[in-house]
Amino acid sequence: MKLVVRNKRLIAFAILGLVLLCPRHSYAYAGPGAGFAVLSSFWTLFVAFLYSVYAFFAWPFRQLFRMLRRRKAYGKAQIKRAVILGFDGMDPELADRFMKEGRLPNLAKLRDQGTFRKLRTTFPAISPVAWSTFMTGVNPGKHNIYDFLARDLNHYLPYLSSAEIKGPKRNVKLGKYTIPLGGAIVKGMRRGIPFWHWLGEAGIFSSIIRVPVTFPPEKFPGVLLSGMCVPDLKGSQGTFCFCTTRKSDDKFREGGVRVPMERNGKGYHSYVPGPDHPLGTGEELRVPFEVHVNGKPNQADLVVDSEKFTLKVGEYSEWIQVKFKAGAGFGAHGICRFYLKEVSPEVEVYVTPVNIDPGQPDLPISHPVTYSIYLAKLFGPYATLGLAEDTWALNEKVLDDDAFLSQCYQNHDDRERMLFDALEKTQQGLCTCVFDTTDRVQHMFWRYLEEDHPAARDVPRDKRPAVIPELYTKMDELIGRVMKQIDDQTLLMVVSDHGFKSFARCFNLNAWLHQNGYLTLKDGKQESGDWFEDVDWSKTRAYTMGLNGLYLNLKGREREGIVDPSEAEALKEELRVKLNGLKDPASGKVGITGVFDCDAVYAGPYVDNAPDLIVGYGDGYRASWDSVMGKVTAQVFEDNLKAWSGDHCIDPRLVPGVLFCNQKIGEEKPAIVDVAPTILKMFGLALPGHFDGKPWTVGSAAT
Amino acid sequence: MGLLTFNTPAVIVTVISVVIGFVMVFIFAWTSDQKAIGVAKEHLKAHLLALRLFQDQIPVVMRSYGRIIVSTGRYLKLAFKPLLFVIIPLTLLAVYADRYLGSEPIARGQAFLVKARISNPDALNSAALQLPDGVTVTSPAVHIPATNEVAWRLMAEKDGKYDVKLQAGDQTVEKELVVATGMPRLSSVRLRDRLWERIFVSGEPALPSNSPIDSIEVQYPARDIAFAGYGWNWIWLFFVLSLAAGFLFKSIFGIEI
Repeated sequence: MKLVVRNKRLIAFAILGLVLLCPRHSYAYAGPGAGFAVLSSFWTLFVAFLYSVYAFFAWPFRQLFRMLRRRKAYGKAQIKRAVILGFDGMDPELADRFMKEGRLPNLAKLRDQGTFRKLRTTFPAISPVAWSTFMTGVNPGKHNIYDFLARDLNHYLPYLSSAEIKGPKRNVKLGKYTIPLGGAIVKGMRRGIPFWHWLGEAGIFSSIIRVPVTFPPEKFPGVLLSGMCVPDLKGSQGTFCFCTTRKSDDKFREGGVRVPMERNGKGYHSYVPGPDHPLGTGEELRVPFEVHVNGKPNQADLVVDSEKFTLKVGEYSEWIQVKFKAGAGFGAHGICRFYLKEVSPEVEVYVTPVNIDPGQPDLPISHPVTYSIYLAKLFGPYATLGLAEDTWALNEKVLDDDAFLSQCYQNHDDRERMLFDALEKTQQGLCTCVFDTTDRVQHMFWRYLEEDHPAARDVPRDKRPAVIPELYTKMDELIGRVMKQIDDQTLLMVVSDHGFKSFARCFNLNAWLHQNGYLTLKDGKQESGDWFEDVDWSKTRAYTMGLNGLYLNLKGREREGIVDPSEAEALKEELRVKLNGLKDPASGKVGITGVFDCDAVYAGPYVDNAPDLIVGYGDGYRASWDSVMGKVTAQVFEDNLKAWSGDHCIDPRLVPGVLFCNQKIGEEKPAIVDVAPTILKMFGLALPGHFDGKPWTVGSAAT
Repeated sequence: MGLLTFNTPAVIVTVISVVIGFVMVFIFAWTSDQKAIGVAKEHLKAHLLALRLFQDQIPVVMRSYGRIIVSTGRYLKLAFKPLLFVIIPLTLLAVYADRYLGSEPIARGQAFLVKARISNPDALNSAALQLPDGVTVTSPAVHIPATNEVAWRLMAEKDGKYDVKLQAGDQTVEKELVVATGMPRLSSVRLRDRLWERIFVSGEPALPSNSPIDSIEVQYPARDIAFAGYGWNWIWLFFVLSLAAGFLFKSIFGIEI
């Protein structure tokens, strides 16, 4: 067989050689294909050559500039490189248990040779808060992130706490169209300076991948790909689309839309909903697609923008580029994956939220902008949405366990490729990559980890998959591969922003406030709609929205505030005393183990934006889904029946993160706020005075 | 032939280029691994971007240069397969078109050279032309012993297709001569043996194998095609226009080249 192939090649080369070499060179031109191939190759090499010339002449100036700037760089450094792997939500108790079971040999090696500690988290123990503290080295009072959501004091409505996306400043009205003059304005709400900016100032290069709350990306001497809080193309934090021939008027509570699929000749016709029309017509842009059941069992052809691909039931497509066209040159570029859920008797297709196309980003998702493009060209399209793993689709049972896990691990594999590229590109300096898989998988599969979780009561014990142990094993294998890439001058840290606990019971704090006279509904109603619909603010003294914050309806601050500032302290104390230690009447367990006064917990210029109290739920409890959305229900406690069955938005003292390091660390009770000062110290840099964290003693001095 | 006579060369080259551009782009699409070509091109661009992104890290920059070269090679290798499918028909087409578009026929009253290469030095001295009516010699034959060549300067008084006879030793061979306007089919040289060269440059039967005459050539002037204000050799014009057509069609049909 090999001989045949070789002969064919020989013949092919011989023919080509004869044609090319024999008579006139001009006849060797074999059409535009060859022309493009030769021209493209030549062009690439020519550009590379031009860049080399530029680099050669610019080199002395750059070296001089770097010498001036790098006076501090590496001069007093104890390390050549720091690699920080962020495993969002890795739990120290589980890690310890699995290490003892022998599942995590690489983490055990780090523990034995270096350090394994619990890492104190932030108040509250929520990812955007904790990772903001991680990168800035300050408490939330100085970085201004207290939750995923912040509140609008005028309307008692939430908005995303980390970034604000607005239309362009100027528009021109032309009939029914509003022509935007300029692009969207993206404003970061996180304050404080990430520690890689300090490194950059000293001439130390950093590669930062998917650290939460880095959107919009800020300019600094290094490369950065934004993580959690990057929106989808609709501007939401992730809106999936479920296209189905089944008739239903049901709407998803959050996170997704149901789109009808209509029979159209031999196939089925539907669409992917996109952003609003950029010319202000109020229409939604859409990308149509068709499904053709091709006669083969459990298989169908999907046609998107004239491109056809075949999917089996239970299979995802690759990332498909979709362009939402608005005419007149306006439009938006996105990518999404299609998942064929069913072809008979009904046809159902799940479509992931439409991510910003990293190869043609309509909003900046990296610094420099070309970094996301570089990664897309090197590895192909990848998830850019902050919360890329579609937990809502599993919660709503649009995806099953396997489909969700498959999505998680596909994203995870992309992230691993980016990490190893960054490790190769950053032989000196800082390389940081955050993996969300640990968080999402634990959120959704904790129900299989405990005896009697309400969300898993219908699954027999012997049928429950070992998803979380396998997750930890996978992360350990990743550590093993990273350890092979580093030398003894590299500091390796594995950190998580918080741990995890069961979320078996929901606590509706708004319902409790209502039943205890702190929150009043209009016309004697017993329940409200979302976002405080029917709340009588003129008789309401306290309310909650988001995961852990409790707010007073303060006069002069909230638009309809009634609590006099002079009474605020007393009211906070009253609420603290009543809520602290509150028991679940169904089980007798303590539902709230701590209520924390923010004046005591936070310090800094943005404390006024903080909630008044932080509610720390007990193990097994969390704010109810309704309470988070500002809804008052009749029940205070209820079972959590959703797949989202584990959580960390509880008493922060119960959910510390992990700290593994390949060197000894002297500090017995390290905190996530200490990471930034420790890294600066390891690189021999002076610490900014405003840091709240304290650097650890690392290395031989710690033993 | 008739069709060609009624069209200007620029129009013909344009039409050929557009048709070839269209056909070749589709042949390229059908015979190539489109996905692999797309990936190879993206990798090339990624490594170019890496030069800029990591410019202060010399080892990274050097590795990127290496990868650019490797990726270029991979891309050319992927483009090689469709090249195999198209190169022979397209080469033959180019050869055929060159008979009409490559040179201009001799004009009436215009002096031109006929050159013969004779392998036997004795025969070189005795080589003589026998001219048909209407064709005259304007200067004596020039012998170039170093290259075994002899050349005559001729002139024709009227249009027509002539046979010029060349006697060397005991053999006489004929060479076609075209005196005309427009775009007749031209064969500038008649060769002995050399099959491959004959296919590409000669439109006449081979000279006898036992003939002392190696080749006989009429030096037709090269044709300049007026296009966009410049005089073009047809193959360069074809190159540019077919690339433009290919670029247009590949963009319209989303084909990766």
